[in-house]
Formats: sequence, structure tokens, C-alpha cells
Amino acid sequence: MSGLGQDGAGALWRGSPHPVLVVDAAGLIIRANDAALRLLPAAHPGASLADAAPAWLSCAHTRALGPVLVSGSAAGDLRERGPVGPATVEARPVREGDAIAWWLDDVTDLERATRALRLERERTAFLDTASGELLSSLNLDRCMEVTARLAARHLADAALVILPPYRRRHPIAYCGQDGVVIREELAVDPEGVPGLAEALQGYPPLPSRWIDPATAPDWLARDGLGEIGSMVVSALPGHGVPAGALVLLRRGGQAGFSEGEEVFARLFAARAGAAMSAARLYAEQAAITETLMRELLPPRVRNLHGVEVAARYRPSEQTARVGGDFYDLHAHADPGGESLVVLGDVAGKGLEAAVLTGKIRHTLHALLPQADDHQRVLELLNGVLLTGGDRTRFVTLVLASLLRVGNRVRLRLTSAGHAPPLVVRADGRVEEARTRGTIIGMLERVTSVTDTVLLEPGETCLFYTDGISEARGGPLGDEMYGDERLKEELRQCGGMPPEAIAERVEMLASQWVRGGDHDDMAVIAITAPRGAHLSAVGGNGRGRFTA
Amino acid sequence: MTAFVPLPLTLVLDPSGPGALRVAVGGDLDFTTAGELLTTVVAALDGGGLTDVRLDCGGLRICDSSGLSALLTVHRQVTEAGARLHLDDRPAALDRLLDVSGTYEHLTGEPATSDRWHSTTPD
Repeated sequence: MSGLGQDGAGALWRGSPHPVLVVDAAGLIIRANDAALRLLPAAHPGASLADAAPAWLSCAHTRALGPVLVSGSAAGDLRERGPVGPATVEARPVREGDAIAWWLDDVTDLERATRALRLERERTAFLDTASGELLSSLNLDRCMEVTARLAARHLADAALVILPPYRRRHPIAYCGQDGVVIREELAVDPEGVPGLAEALQGYPPLPSRWIDPATAPDWLARDGLGEIGSMVVSALPGHGVPAGALVLLRRGGQAGFSEGEEVFARLFAARAGAAMSAARLYAEQAAITETLMRELLPPRVRNLHGVEVAARYRPSEQTARVGGDFYDLHAHADPGGESLVVLGDVAGKGLEAAVLTGKIRHTLHALLPQADDHQRVLELLNGVLLTGGDRTRFVTLVLASLLRVGNRVRLRLTSAGHAPPLVVRADGRVEEARTRGTIIGMLERVTSVTDTVLLEPGETCLFYTDGISEARGGPLGDEMYGDERLKEELRQCGGMPPEAIAERVEMLASQWVRGGDHDDMAVIAITAPRGAHLSAVGGNGRGRFTA
Repeated sequence: MTAFVPLPLTLVLDPSGPGALRVAVGGDLDFTTAGELLTTVVAALDGGGLTDVRLDCGGLRICDSSGLSALLTVHRQVTEAGARLHLDDRPAALDRLLDVSGTYEHLTGEPATSDRWHSTTPD
């Protein structure tokens, strides 16, 4: 259709909101409508396109003349974009005989929206990456470094992460343009930086604060960065505790922080703060667990006044558990007095069980003067646990008072709800100690029966926790190891030294579960030494034996 | 290797007459399931008017220390509600646990087995 010259159509065409230019093969403008003239005031008929329009449009015209454009159709693949003054314009050519009609379209807003969308997507991707990196380790130091590095790379020229003071010094991570994170602990005054003290005190996240770079102290605006153009402080919001502050710096000559960038920096800070406070909480919990565990570690195994004692302890591998099994060896001050060995198992898991374990061990320690009366000790301990406890946890114990009598060892054994100790005789017979008693910490009344056992030289008494007897495994993986299997194995252990027996028992149970989960395992072996005892020299010594 | 596979705890409630409640307990009563037994029985007690609570333990496979703790707590709650707890059809392993833990008489009302110094029955 070539009706552009017709009056009616021409009027329509002139008044169209779309700028249209018709340009001939020589690059001269044949006609331009009103909208085109508003856009390109010099585009009068007869003018050269090269003079009237930006260079990108005349280049496009030259290209559009090349391929044969079917008359009346747009060249689908020919669309050019370029600036016209402040606007961005898209131009599409339509062949009009030998000339080309350029339909122009102001796409400034579309372009802006597209750019904003792309930026938003990049930021979202960055925040995702940041979250992933931050949360991949629950380690506060690493979180600080990652935060400083990411901020310096994506948000600013340099960044500092500043934590609340620890022993009067602020842990700080600084990252400049080289991407290297510097860790420091500085005694600085946050009051000297507007907004920093508030950010560190964990007030609800304040809007970012602009700092006049001229007033920034040297530890913030460092040498090597050149002149600072803009500086922003944001809080790193934690879980109800201040996680710290993030300071972003840009060099002079760089654009300041736009509103969008500030919002973005705040989003990043929120993620970093969450990761850092999670890491801190985790570190605190780990430290508490560590302290408790240290406190709960079994004592070193000794020789108690000429009685040989060996112990093995293997906590469950499930990380959520702090050992509920424990043992203690209390040597009597006087070699002629009874020493006390305690083996116990607190029901339940985790820190609560660990706290209860500590309480029980300390209580038993305080009750040592009464240790000659096991029933009394159990009653007193039960009373302590009932008054302070929630009555849903109990402990099982074996108390063993031991004394060397000549070359034999006399044991007084009391089981409080615990599997009775096993005695391995020299000839391989295995006997169960005749003791029974009530679990401690749940019932008002506790009863117990104490058994006295004499060990001849080379004979052993073995205590163990249910981590051994209830180890689940075997050929089908669903069987408990059980006391009977243990007894059967112990028949092969007549005359073995205590270390060998304790180690063997632990190994058997570990083999039984074959790498599966197991509960805590604790084993104690008490043995009457072989050889004639000559003298127990010097109180705590082993004495001397004939070979 | 074949891993140990825990069984879930099954509780089937059967109001077996006025004032009586029967609970058939099956599967594993351990650290992960002990709470269910307790909440179930306590909820039943809240209705009031019970004189006897019978736990039928015939289907019980494993009872560990947390399970024992739950049984003792159930016993306390039932007693405080003015009812009696019965542990029926107990497997041998449960009896051994009650015996070793010194809770046999407390939980069953019967004196503990006389022949308790030599449990030589193979598992």
C-alpha cells in the first residue's frame, strides 16, 4: 500500500504518536511526521539523515538498504536501538518502494525497567550466593571474612565488619580492593563514628548512616584506598543480640550510594547478621558443651593401692549426645582404707543428661565419707535427685568398694538398677555378682542388696554400661549383643590383665554394631594382681611383686 | 551391612468396661517414642473415672531406659489419678529390665523373682 501521499491517510500519518521518517536510498529524508520532528527537529524533508539523526540510525539505514526487504513488511530481524538525546529509541524499517520508512519507538521506560529487572536478578542471585557462603559454615570468623569480602567485591571499594567488643577490643575484618581480608582486634572507640555505637549495641536496625569521610578515623579510612568519597554504616542485625556493624567505603570520584544500593546493602547486612549470630550462638553452645565434656571426661586410670584398674570409655558418635555414661575412681587417702569405684549411666541425651551426670558425680564425691554404707549413699543421692530433679530421669549405678587384703582383693558391690558386675575367675568361670538395687532419681524408696566378692590373683571383676550389652547389630543388624554373649566371650579371658579385658569387651561390642550407631560404652575392669605381694610401699605406690 | 531398623510404637486403646482402659502396646518403647505412651495415657486419665489401666505388653519389642522412665511416670500419673496400673503379658526381656532396675515390685505389685541371682537363660 502506498497511500501515504493521500490527504486523509497523510493527515492520519502526520498525527500518529509514533515518530515515522521516510528516507530514500540516497539517505535523504523524504518526509517526517510531527512526532518525528518533535524527536529529531532537524529531520525536515530534503535533509540528510546523517545530519538530522544520530549516527547509529544512518548506519542502520545503510544496512537496511542491503538485504531485499519485502515491500510493506517489517524486516523482523532488523531492529536497532540507540540514544536520541536522553531517550532510548528503537527503530524498525519498513520498505516503501525504493525508500524506507523508519518507525521509531521511545523505549526509555522499557529499557529502564529491563535494566532494573536485570539488576534485581543479579542482586537476588548475589544474595543467594552470599547466604549459601555465609551459612555453609557455622564459624563466626569465617562469616566475618565472607561478609567483608563479599561487601568489598559487590557493594563498595572496601568494607569493614566490626563486632561488639570482647575484652575491650573489637574484632574487625577489613577487606580492600585486593580481596584480601585482614583480621584485627582493635581497642577503638565506636563513639567516634556516627551510628557505629548504636549499630553495635543492637538497637533495632537503624537506617544506614552517612559519615563525612573527613571525620572518619584512620582505622576506618585506611591508606591505600585513596581519598574516600562516601562511607555508610549499617547494623548487622542479630537474633536479639547485636551481631555487629558493616561499614562500606567508596573512593572519591565514584558515585555515592543510591537508594536502591542502600536497600540492597541492608538486605545483605540482614543476611550476614543472621549468619553471624547463628555462628555465635553455635560457638557459645559448642563452648558450653566443650566445658561440660571436659568436666565429664573420665579420670585417668590408676592403680588403687595395689589393685589394678583399667577403664575404657567411648561416647556415642551421634553428635547430639554428650556422654551419659561416667565413671570415677576415688582412692582412699589411706592404703588400708577402701577405695571407691563408681560406674553409672544417666538416662536421656544431650546437655540435660550431661548436667545431671555432673551433679551426680559431685554429690557422690561429697558422700565419700559415707561410702562404707552403700545403701545410705544411694538413699542420700536419691534424695538429692528427687528434690532437685524433674523425676523423669534416672541414673543407674554400680558402687564398688575395694580393698587389697593380702594378695587378694575384696570387693563390696552394689548395683542400683544397673546390670550386675561380672567376675572372671582364673579358670575362666564367669559369675554374676549377686547384687540388685533400685534405679536412682525416680522412686521415693530405694532398696539394694550388696554382694561381697573376693578376687584371687589374676581374677577380674568387670562393670559395663548398656552401650555394651544393648549394642544392636549382629548378622542381621537387629540383635542386641546381650549379657549372655558377653559372658561367653569372657570365659576365654581367664587370667588376662585388666587392660586386655576392657579393650576386648569394647572391641567386641564395636564389631557387633559394625559401624552402626551405638550408645555410650564404658567398661571398667578391676583385677587382683598376680604374684606374691611383698609390701605396699609408700601409700599410693603399686607395692612390689615377685614376678 | 543390615542396619538396625527401629519399629514405631503402636498404641491401641480399648475401653474394656466402665472404669477400665486397656492399651495394647506394640513395637519399640524408646527415647523417640516414650513421650507418646505418656501423653496417650495422661489424655485418657483426664477423662476421669478410671480405676484400672492395663498396658498389654505382648507386642512390645524393645524397652530401653527412656521406656522404663516412661513406664514409671505413667505409673505415677495413674496412681495419682486414683487408679491402678497393670502390666499384662510381659515379655521376658521386659521382666529382666524391671528386675535389674529394681522396679519390678514397684511396677507389677508382685515380689521380684526369687531366682534372680542366676539368670542363665540364653537370649
